[in-house]
Amino acid sequence: MRIELQNFTKRFGDTTVIEDMSLSVASGEMIALLGPSGCGKSTTLFAISGIHRIDGGTLHFGDRDVTRLPPQDRPVGVVFQNYALYPHMSVADNIGFPLRVQNLKPAEIKRRVGEMAELVQIGNLLARKPQQLSGGQQQRVALARALVRKPDVLLLDEPLANLDAKLRLEMRSEIRRLQRETGITAILVTHDQIEAMSMCDRIALMKDGRIEQISTPGDMYERPASRYVAGFLGNPPISFLRAEAKGQLTIGADNALPLPHGTAARGPITLGVRPEHFGPQHRGPSIAGQVSFIEPQGREDLIDVTLPCDQRLRAIVPAGHDIALGQPVTWQVDLSRVHLFDAEGARL
Amino acid sequence: MNTKGNWMLILALSLISAPLVIMYGFQLIDSVSRPAPGGIIPQEWELTNWRFLWTSIDSARPSIWRVTFNTFVFASATALLVCAFSITAAYALSRLNFPARRFFLAGLIMLHAFPTITLIIAIFIVLQFLGLYDSLMGVILVKAALELPFGIWIMKGFYDSVPWEIEMAGVQDGASRFRVWRELILPQVKPGLSALLIFSFLAGWSEFILPLVLAPGADAQVLATYMNAVIADDTRPDYGLFKAIGMFYALPVIAVYLLFQKRLMNIYGGGTKG
Amino acid sequence: MTRQTLLGLGFLSPALLAVMMFFLLPVVLTVVFAFTNMSTSTGILGGEYQISESDLRRLPAVGVGEDAVALLAGAGYAVQPETLALFAAEFGEDRAAELDKLHGGAKFDDQRAMERALKELRRNPLRKVRDRKTAADLFRVSILGQRFATRDDFALAITDLGVPERDRLALTEAAYTGWTFTTQNFELLWELPATWRYALNSVIYVVLTLGFNVGFGLFLALSTFYLPSRTAQTFRAIWFLPRILPPVLYVLMWQWLTWDQGFISAMLRPFGIEPINWMRHTATHAWTFIVLINGCVGASLGMILFSSSLRAIPETQLFAAQVDGANRWQQVRHVLLPQMRWPILFITSYQTLSLLTSFEYILLATDGGPGRQTEVWALAAYHTALSNYGGNLEYGLGAAYALALVIIGILLSALYLRFFKFSELVAKPRIEQ
Repeated sequence: MRIELQNFTKRFGDTTVIEDMSLSVASGEMIALLGPSGCGKSTTLFAISGIHRIDGGTLHFGDRDVTRLPPQDRPVGVVFQNYALYPHMSVADNIGFPLRVQNLKPAEIKRRVGEMAELVQIGNLLARKPQQLSGGQQQRVALARALVRKPDVLLLDEPLANLDAKLRLEMRSEIRRLQRETGITAILVTHDQIEAMSMCDRIALMKDGRIEQISTPGDMYERPASRYVAGFLGNPPISFLRAEAKGQLTIGADNALPLPHGTAARGPITLGVRPEHFGPQHRGPSIAGQVSFIEPQGREDLIDVTLPCDQRLRAIVPAGHDIALGQPVTWQVDLSRVHLFDAEGARL
Repeated sequence: MNTKGNWMLILALSLISAPLVIMYGFQLIDSVSRPAPGGIIPQEWELTNWRFLWTSIDSARPSIWRVTFNTFVFASATALLVCAFSITAAYALSRLNFPARRFFLAGLIMLHAFPTITLIIAIFIVLQFLGLYDSLMGVILVKAALELPFGIWIMKGFYDSVPWEIEMAGVQDGASRFRVWRELILPQVKPGLSALLIFSFLAGWSEFILPLVLAPGADAQVLATYMNAVIADDTRPDYGLFKAIGMFYALPVIAVYLLFQKRLMNIYGGGTKG
Repeated sequence: MTRQTLLGLGFLSPALLAVMMFFLLPVVLTVVFAFTNMSTSTGILGGEYQISESDLRRLPAVGVGEDAVALLAGAGYAVQPETLALFAAEFGEDRAAELDKLHGGAKFDDQRAMERALKELRRNPLRKVRDRKTAADLFRVSILGQRFATRDDFALAITDLGVPERDRLALTEAAYTGWTFTTQNFELLWELPATWRYALNSVIYVVLTLGFNVGFGLFLALSTFYLPSRTAQTFRAIWFLPRILPPVLYVLMWQWLTWDQGFISAMLRPFGIEPINWMRHTATHAWTFIVLINGCVGASLGMILFSSSLRAIPETQLFAAQVDGANRWQQVRHVLLPQMRWPILFITSYQTLSLLTSFEYILLATDGGPGRQTEVWALAAYHTALSNYGGNLEYGLGAAYALALVIIGILLSALYLRFFKFSELVAKPRIEQ
């Protein structure tokens, strides 16, 4: 089911938290709303679910206008950060609740609950109470409950935030598997870029109530629309250098790079270099500086190089090198992969 | 130093607690014994003080069982009314969006602190108008209404502690707000509800002023007014009898308190009454 | 209206109804009653119109003319067609015809003259005294002692009687037996020396009891805080009991402790101290025990609240103080007490209000005695309106007493609002539709 949110505006009292935002999600697509806390991603999610009123704009599921529908009437399943399982009900009753609300026959409910439990692989836990389950199991119950009434849209609000690292990895692929198998249109709200990149077809990166960029994970990583996007994605994060473009790119007094492929920019700009595109193992123009920090990571090391102008570049260097702290180095930059941003932070 | 300090503390506490302990002790002893004339040391153990249970202590008085029944009806009816009204009103104030909610909340807090006893003269006359004066029904309604702000306040606290997400999950699962309340939220506040029920029952059981003023007749007498009348009418105080009646009166209170101590402490502490 | 609004108002309405009935209405009525002379003798519903013999003397004072009073007092029996018709129905047409012939149109000043006329009928005299009395009553035209249900009936009657126009209004008002609006309750309160005495008593009562409550509550909370939990629990239970015991029983225990053959007297007798009623002997005795009785109930509330806020203070602060060499008193003084400011303030303001208005324990313990020495304001309201020895319950005056407390109650409970983080409390519900 296609989701079309147009010119969405949301106010709490006198403060407008989201203004004139548009987002469309294709049928069967899984999209991530990514951003720091307070950027409006959860607000958007709850507006789509119907819990928050939409103060301006429209929301369509397919051709159907659902802007004014209460949450009960929207074909939406939601998984909450703390799962929100009903503590006094067994797992079976939890999953069956949405069906009971529809007044289905007990036999029918039992059958569909059984099917759903098999799909999320908790068929053996149906008689338990939520507090007897592990975090991952609770998560599966929450997914089953959200999907059991066959909604058109699945909304996931930080579903992995309450899990430990190992379970998080497991549930990441599990959720993606379920979404693919059911073919449901899904929106994932997260502040974790890895979750967003690994689970979703596309990412909408949000900042201060606006969508900064919406694109596939690969494209967003390779071609960030702004300095903000470039800085948000990537771990270890990208390094930014202040530079001056005048025929070539001067960085401080001592370093200069040729302008990359046909950039006609002039004046002060920001150069973004990801750590994996700088180091002794690359081909291209070079930058000179002094090693100021080494952080061994096992397979590779993170090395900070401080330039004479006191700006810093980070490099990922395969382990087994003999670079020492304080050593002067001149390393290459993969000029085809660097990003240039103007003074406002927009991509050049 | 700490052990010595503790002993000093225990000594001090024991001294100041002594009058209370003496009163409790003799309350127990005197109800089943007869002290020496003019003294306080029990002479012989006997149950004659409990004669009010099987004989009428004087002709004008209603039977103790009738009075006990009245008290039970009064206490449980008020408790049920308070709970029934509180669970809906508190939910509305805690969770539902409706006009003037702010105003109602401010009103609730003010009522919670407002000394209801000052209204008793007007209430007395209201009951006369309604024709409910001197009936158990009238006192039940008044007591329930006066306990209500407290009940709503307590229940609101319990509702506030239920995670919003449960409620959100419920509406998202397609249930109406009423169904969400009844099937999903109400089960979460059950412990609070039972605590309020017990608390209101005890409050009704112990209530003295309202029955005294609003239902002074023999038909609607409760244990508090009964005991007070027995004490007031006697020219020569028979403390053995008084204490036995008091014992009979207080036994349910003490039993309920011992059984539900933990639950009640929450309310007595959090609710701040009196 | 959304479904949520409907559900919200629906859920609220039973409670709202109860609150209107037993809070708002009584508050309004307290104000109204305070401005009336309502009492047992006026009744609480409307009254009637009646002038009795004894009223005659006070009539000139309220502005009824002498001649009107004379009219009311004067000639009471008339042989007129109307009265004759009544007489005929009861005692026969013949008699009536004869009476009409002899005395038609006559007026008699008093009952004896009327009876004589009846006795002296020549053909059919009324021989029995009882009959003559009954018959004489039929000719009565005076309105003395007669009850009129409405103002109009009364007006008609006095007009018939010939009361001059200018006297009618004053007379009607004087004849009304129901309650009326007046400000004399407040004038009375202002003038009576007892009023000031009660106010002073209330202040004494609140200040002393409050001091006891807070001080003792703090002491209990702090001392049990340092004790091992089992010991602490025992003491807490001892001090908590007064709170849950029925007041009638709780006060009875104190009565037993203090009466002239009670515990205190018995303990002191070997030392040659005469047995007295320790609670009622003098005003000082009474005040001491009133404060103790109320204090032991109130202290437990302080104890519970203070204990829970003490538990909320991180233990590490105490360890730090101990490492710094602070003894217990210094810990209490410099670490614990400063953090108890809010609970103390809360208890103080809350209990001020409830002590000011409660009278249950005083009523049970001393009933305001000895004399009226421990009569506090709230108890005076109760005694005036709901339980007084004379039997005439003065609801209006009692309501005037209560009104003062209601006003203080409203002001203080509005102040009480400030103790709550109100904006947090009214945070918008998160499900918007």
